[in-house]
Amino acid sequence: MKIYDFAFAPNPRRLRIFVAEKGLKIPLEQVDIFAGKNRTPEMLAKNPAGGLPVVELDDGSCLAESVAICRYLEGLHPEPNMVGKNSREQAVIEMWNRRIELGLFAAAGRAFQHTNELFKARIKQFPEYGATQREAAAQQLQWLDAQIGNKPFIAADRFTIADITAEVAVDFAAQAAGVAADPALKNLARWYESVSSRPSAKA
Amino acid sequence: MKIYEFTQAPNPRRVRVFLAEKGINNVPFVQVNLATADNTKPEFLKMNPMGRVPVLELDDGTYIAESVAICRYFEEIKPEPRLMGVDAKDKAVVEMWNRRMEFEILSNTAGAFRNTSDFFKGRIPQVKEYGEICRNAAVKRLEWLDTVLADREFIAGPRYTIADITALIGIDFGRTTGIKIQENQKNLARWHQAVSSRPSAKA
Repeated sequence: MKIYDFAFAPNPRRLRIFVAEKGLKIPLEQVDIFAGKNRTPEMLAKNPAGGLPVVELDDGSCLAESVAICRYLEGLHPEPNMVGKNSREQAVIEMWNRRIELGLFAAAGRAFQHTNELFKARIKQFPEYGATQREAAAQQLQWLDAQIGNKPFIAADRFTIADITAEVAVDFAAQAAGVAADPALKNLARWYESVSSRPSAKA
Repeated sequence: MKIYEFTQAPNPRRVRVFLAEKGINNVPFVQVNLATADNTKPEFLKMNPMGRVPVLELDDGTYIAESVAICRYFEEIKPEPRLMGVDAKDKAVVEMWNRRMEFEILSNTAGAFRNTSDFFKGRIPQVKEYGEICRNAAVKRLEWLDTVLADREFIAGPRYTIADITALIGIDFGRTTGIKIQENQKNLARWHQAVSSRPSAKA
């Protein structure tokens, strides 16, 4: 098995953190998105959607979509449990993972794409739309602070895939979309300090 | 157990079709009128702070939001017929295709509607040009999906899965902005005819 990865992109980082939390070692091969290497015919044959990460299995077949790959690894290596132990917990963790994806992560991604120089030649940018998404990302950070309250983790009494998505989304919003979390958001700050001091955060 | 939903919205339809395919017909539905913004009222926000439908209320008082999280709950409590995959790899493949259908199809038909329709005027900051981009992207993705369906009966392979439900709802929702399957898209038309004629499509 190997992972086609790109060290600077947020979705590959989700997978690397997941792999680290599982205690797995899977070889990584870099695919430079900045140089368009994710859109070569070879890579498009592996993932026609062109995104990263992609996992190539030993039988030569490929899996794309970060969460699909995480679920595959969870199936092979159930411990530590990252996506839920019973029907109710699986649903709750999926709910929170998606809330972060569709809220903070998506808003930060759209702000980045519509305001950053990197995307100028690739997509038709609407800075006005990017500004609304920046505002949306800032609101999502406030919302997340309120939702975390005094809970130790996002979705359960332990670290789960929802924490990974949120951790990556918070960093991505700050680094790529210019929307840093206000330190006055104390719950968010406490949670972030805790998850980002785990060894997996450096993966 | 009950489900809060709104009949005309696309995501509640995903859950209704999923339940119909499972043969689950004893969960009561409670309508939350999005047209009068009942989903933004404090009583509703207590159930889902994102203010979105559908929401599943469990008998222990737990609220599960996010369509796919709700579907996953039902998949766990009533595994047959399998709509989210059979083994680790198949589950990952279905998840991958379901997410592709969400990102490539549903999010584009929804983005076109959100940014151009009168329904959302005054509710969200609309950027018409961005809506057009989503519309064009959706049209392009349908061309791609037609090629995907050349060698398979259903979206994720030989069996009907949640990915077919997401694609069906995403494509049908395109009608709100005039996005439809083109005459030369024979594979897509064949698939759409097949999934639309299942009794669940009317759920």
